[in-house]
Amino acid sequence: MTNIVVLNSQTHRHLRVQAGASAELGDNQRFVHVAISEFPALVVHYPIFFAKDSETGAFFAGAMLGFGENLFLSADGKGQDAYRPLNLQRQPFFVAGSDLAIDLDSPRVGRGEALFQESGEPTPYLQTIVAAFRELRPGFEMTKVFIDTLLKLKLIEPITVDLGFDDGSRLKLIDLYTIDRNTLQALPDATVLDLFRRGYLHLIYLMIASLKQIPVLAQKKNRRLHESAG
Amino acid sequence: MVRPIQNIVIVGGGTAGWLAAGVIAARHQGRMKTGFTVTLVESPNIGIIGVGEGTWPTMRSTLEKIGVSETAFFRECDTAFKQGASFARWTTGAANDAYYHPLMLPQGFTQLNLVPHWLRSGRGRSFCDAVCPQGQLCDDGLAPKMITTPEYQAVANYAYHLDAGKFAPFLQRHCTEKLGVRHVQADVLTVNRAENGDIASLTTRQAGDIPGDLFVDCSGFSALLLGKTLGVPFKDCSDVLFCDTALAVQVPYETPDAPMASHTISTAQKAGWIWDIGLPTRRGIGYVYSSRHSSEEAAQEELARYVGPAIKGLSVRKIPIRSGHRETFWKNNCVAVGLAAGFLEPLEASAIVLVELSAKLIAEQMPANREVMDIVAARFNDVTSYRWGRIVDFLKLHYVLTKRTDSRFWIDNVDPVSVPDRLKNLLLLWKYRSPWFFDEFDRLEEVFPAASYQYVLYGMGFRSEVDPSDSDGTDAIAARLVEENAAVTRRMRSQLPKNRDLIRKIHDFGLQPI
Repeated sequence: MTNIVVLNSQTHRHLRVQAGASAELGDNQRFVHVAISEFPALVVHYPIFFAKDSETGAFFAGAMLGFGENLFLSADGKGQDAYRPLNLQRQPFFVAGSDLAIDLDSPRVGRGEALFQESGEPTPYLQTIVAAFRELRPGFEMTKVFIDTLLKLKLIEPITVDLGFDDGSRLKLIDLYTIDRNTLQALPDATVLDLFRRGYLHLIYLMIASLKQIPVLAQKKNRRLHESAG
Repeated sequence: MVRPIQNIVIVGGGTAGWLAAGVIAARHQGRMKTGFTVTLVESPNIGIIGVGEGTWPTMRSTLEKIGVSETAFFRECDTAFKQGASFARWTTGAANDAYYHPLMLPQGFTQLNLVPHWLRSGRGRSFCDAVCPQGQLCDDGLAPKMITTPEYQAVANYAYHLDAGKFAPFLQRHCTEKLGVRHVQADVLTVNRAENGDIASLTTRQAGDIPGDLFVDCSGFSALLLGKTLGVPFKDCSDVLFCDTALAVQVPYETPDAPMASHTISTAQKAGWIWDIGLPTRRGIGYVYSSRHSSEEAAQEELARYVGPAIKGLSVRKIPIRSGHRETFWKNNCVAVGLAAGFLEPLEASAIVLVELSAKLIAEQMPANREVMDIVAARFNDVTSYRWGRIVDFLKLHYVLTKRTDSRFWIDNVDPVSVPDRLKNLLLLWKYRSPWFFDEFDRLEEVFPAASYQYVLYGMGFRSEVDPSDSDGTDAIAARLVEENAAVTRRMRSQLPKNRDLIRKIHDFGLQPI
């Protein structure tokens, strides 16, 4: 189902890609892998959690965009009404070693934005994709270091989110993790200072603050339910 | 002047010695600053027995308590999962004769006994399959958890198979590097006594005198302190449990990715039974037999038949089994743990669990001073004697229920003379009702709960005559529990990975601490 090839300005000179957020084109994701550099942009819209990769068990950071669906896609399914996480923005591109690669089987490929100018130079659109990876690749690495630091300090704890919606349905979100505030309060001074200097304290409090987005997200879901019922 | 108990000296560095050191040192970490010490004296010249490869789920909390990482334990001790044991050919000896003793309790065990319901309506399904998923998980060769399940947590209750030769050094590193245990490599020359009969110190060849307040005898079969020095007699149990010899061999897999059972397989033979324990790199296989019922040659042949052509060129180790235990376990200021306390055939992995339970009891009940030590010792002896007795009963249960008459060994095993009175009474009682909490399974930390007896009894075709009209209004709850179990079983079977695949992932990625 995928056909990932290294991008090349000769072969792919006239390739076009649909860049925008769209449910049909892969944006309908409720939980998206994010990097710590995105936290400030994410926190104004989404709850940020840690979750585990089902293949490796390794922790990663993720933004919750909805409950089973991306609640931030505009009603027509086109466009994202809020910051679009880089991992969605970069679709359908990948990195293969130090090369940019593209999945030619992606439904995004065919129409839309050009990748190369007639001269062979990358278009501004392709430059944003390059920039996204420039942030994401080291970003995921730095996120891993951040998470390892928190694990060592026992600052991560499981959280269960129980929600009830206006249509009477209930939802229990499990396998999510957040900051353990009790352990945080009890950290020794030197550790706190170290976390502050590394910029981690800021990230920790962004994550804690982001939990306030859960009820906001639930309200969004309720509005959807009313719209579809009305 | 009351002398506080500050200096604990452990003699012997096998599985028992290092587990005891770890459990005691971890429990008393806080007192290390104020002079509490744990010293383990180990002979550089005497090897360890190191055949104990099966554990109980208690090992999970033991290792967690002493601060070991489960990931490191898997990587360094050739560890694998154990979800109980299957017993093949114990009842009739036929090829299809097998049942499971799983580690999961029957569904709803704390609220309802499902046995009567199963006896009335569970036709066609084994008791194990009717009340718990684990037999089917073992049939499927599945692991008891996933890579996303945190360290020491389970989807299905589990214990371990491990390489005992790697486990002791692994614990040694942890105890000396993390828990402040002093490791002295020296041969004990003499054990010096005080006027009241206590052990005052050990004189060693390489490290001079080692004084102590409490001595833990983990010296193995020799029972150097409790047996040789304090003269506590040994209580032989070979009139109940006949097996007295083991022939052990380590068998490589045919291919590195050959399936690996996640349970111990115990297969009955002419004069005993064969254990088969799957580790990631090899299988540990051993024939435990009664030399009164079989020659060594015949036993070698049966073992070779079980292992197959792979046995060619492998060295078979002969290990004597003297079934029994000391008459008391704690005398004066000396307490025995492990083989020094006693040994029984390894039918239900009871050796290491007894080490854990004893070490835990010593650590938690640590006498404050010599004055109160005898009170603690009396309690310890009471509980530990009870445990040994219960284990002997439970092991004998596997033999008395057999219908095999193909050899003297099985015929002699059902002779009432060889059955302990308590077990006789219980079996009589269980003819008319099933094992439950009132049948003296009332102790805290019972080694084998009523559930274990249920799995073995009904796995071996024993049937209690329950009165069909004696429904106490719990039928609906029971039916719901059985359905719940079926649902849980389906979910686990679709969710859990293959045993070997998960162990490979633990080696590659590790398990998360939370």
